[in-house]
Amino acid sequence: MLRESSLTGFIRALSVTALVGAPMVALAQEETGTKTAHELRADYDKNLKGKTIAFLPIATGVPLMDEWGSVIKTEAEWRGMNFVIRDPNNNPAAMQQALTALVDEKPDVIVVQNPSVTLLQKELKRAEAQGTHVIQMNMSSNYKSDAFVGADWFEVGRMLAEDVVKACGTGSGTSGKVQIVQGELTAAASVDQIAGVMDALNKDKAIKVVSNQAAQWDANNALNITATVIQQHPDLCASIGFWGIMQSGAAQAIRNAGKIDQVKVYASGEGSQLDCDQVNQGNFYKFLSYTAGEQGRDAFLAAEALLENDAKPGSSHREYYTRPIWLDKSNANAANCYPVPKPPTPTAAADATPKK
Amino acid sequence: MTMQPDATAGRLEPWRLAVGGLSQEQIVAALTVVLLLGFSLGLPGFATTANLLDLLRSISKLGILGLGMGLIVISRGIDLSEVAMMAGSWCVALTAIPRGLPPFWAAVLALTICVAIGLFNGVMVAFIEAPALFVTLATAYVIYGAAFWFASAFVAYAPLDAPELVFAGRGMLLGIPMPILVFAAAASVMHAFLSWTSIGRFIYAQGDNPEAARLTGVALRPLTILEYVLVAALAWLAGLVWIGETGSMQMAIVQGSTIFDVILVVVLGGISLVGGRGGVFSVVAGCALIGTLLNAFTIMNVNSEVQNIIRGVVLLVAIILDNLLHPRDEETARQGD
Repeated sequence: MLRESSLTGFIRALSVTALVGAPMVALAQEETGTKTAHELRADYDKNLKGKTIAFLPIATGVPLMDEWGSVIKTEAEWRGMNFVIRDPNNNPAAMQQALTALVDEKPDVIVVQNPSVTLLQKELKRAEAQGTHVIQMNMSSNYKSDAFVGADWFEVGRMLAEDVVKACGTGSGTSGKVQIVQGELTAAASVDQIAGVMDALNKDKAIKVVSNQAAQWDANNALNITATVIQQHPDLCASIGFWGIMQSGAAQAIRNAGKIDQVKVYASGEGSQLDCDQVNQGNFYKFLSYTAGEQGRDAFLAAEALLENDAKPGSSHREYYTRPIWLDKSNANAANCYPVPKPPTPTAAADATPKK
Repeated sequence: MTMQPDATAGRLEPWRLAVGGLSQEQIVAALTVVLLLGFSLGLPGFATTANLLDLLRSISKLGILGLGMGLIVISRGIDLSEVAMMAGSWCVALTAIPRGLPPFWAAVLALTICVAIGLFNGVMVAFIEAPALFVTLATAYVIYGAAFWFASAFVAYAPLDAPELVFAGRGMLLGIPMPILVFAAAASVMHAFLSWTSIGRFIYAQGDNPEAARLTGVALRPLTILEYVLVAALAWLAGLVWIGETGSMQMAIVQGSTIFDVILVVVLGGISLVGGRGGVFSVVAGCALIGTLLNAFTIMNVNSEVQNIIRGVVLLVAIILDNLLHPRDEETARQGD
């Protein structure tokens, strides 16, 4: 008989303990989770939970702004953050007042949509100086804050026009006549889009811009302008509009003239179900969506990054551009178009408590 | 209108004698004819039947709204909620159709909403004696908010499968677009009402001198309510044409300049804001002038900022012309001309 050495015995005892004990330890761990998962989440919550994110669009009740608000609110509340929204109803004075009041409340992040490049820049600067991160959305001001989230309007215009050149340019066998329906001649979104459009259209000599008018974002104005244009130029090849809801009026005018199959109607917009309905009904030939839902998520991602980084507001500038997607009859479905959201209810000042 | 001898008769300039015999609507009509001739000669593509029909079609909705506004201004009132009534009632109606309401009843719903608001406006102005300007301004705001609450839609689209509903806007009869025929019919009925019925004459009396009208036995309060209900009904009619033609109704037009365009064509055509003056022809003349300018500008591709400037200048010229033609003195300012 060989007698075991004490070392072997010790090792054997240890392995038995390990073999028996490991499942028990694992069992114990399964009941409370892995330490690393807890640590990661605790770190995340430390940076985000209880913080306040404020949203100041130009107006609510517009599908674009409502979708942003709805997405940011959902994302914020899931993380235990407070969501605050103000509605200036398209009034620049009210918007300035609302921003001043918001900045005074010292939220952690403000997401703001600028109606012009100068209106809010001083207040945004003050906000960052006092420690609030500022994310500018959709249209920027002259002051570059921590982050900008939005579509590249120049690129949107260029993409629209390049498709028009393919459809109506040299070698297409059409008249090459193009109509442009702008939103407002002085809105940044319009100015940058038209720059992109003309940049691409000017590259092809066969393209003639027969009408370049602003319809003030109103479908009825677009209808009246387009009715005259299609009547003067019955061989019109394409119509480009800078907002789907407005351009539906132009499409209707072309349909009333019986030319909806001949004229290619293009529009850019936020990609709500309204725009997709127009595509599916054959009113829009192609629609360029800057995916308001994705923009909302990008805005929240930017806010998350800023809060987790914890750098001093104003110390860096980041840009988050949304990828525009083409919608036509083949893909204008629920996967790519969001249902029109209900306008959010404005929250009371300073005492919005977290839901969970 | 004839020349009235007044304190300034001794020192009237020759040009005032020449044009003073003409009313403002006649001057505006003459100006329109001059512009039409000018554009026909100078602008290729303007003087075609199709373009002129398009011109008439483009002013039809404005004209129907102008008939309503003209009626209320003749009676020395004003209705700033006309566009709000049109947009709010039709937005609610159009959002009810996908929820199961048949198109006919949706149209009736829109009319009911319009008439109810018209009744409210009328009662406020006639019985509470609140100033019409503020009552209708407040009503416009209330409609804007309430429509969003009930309809929850920034833009409501006309149904695709209701051809009767959209016929007034989109249809054609004898080669003429329906909006023009609807406007013509409404204008004829309004003209007959104002000129040949006693109620029409009472409306002029009310606008010219409400106190005298009341003293001679005209029932002013029911008359006022009737006027505001008529404006509301015309707003509904304009909306019916609007949804057929444009295919949608946007609530944003309530906050835009549409209501001021309506007041523009009314004042331009010679319906003075002091009341008691003008008629359907004024509205038609004002619409024709504005329509001619806008049509020509679109053909010339003039940008909308310049268009706005010119519209403003035209309105200023009209007001100054009105002042020069009908100089106000102590007597006429109070009692009308």
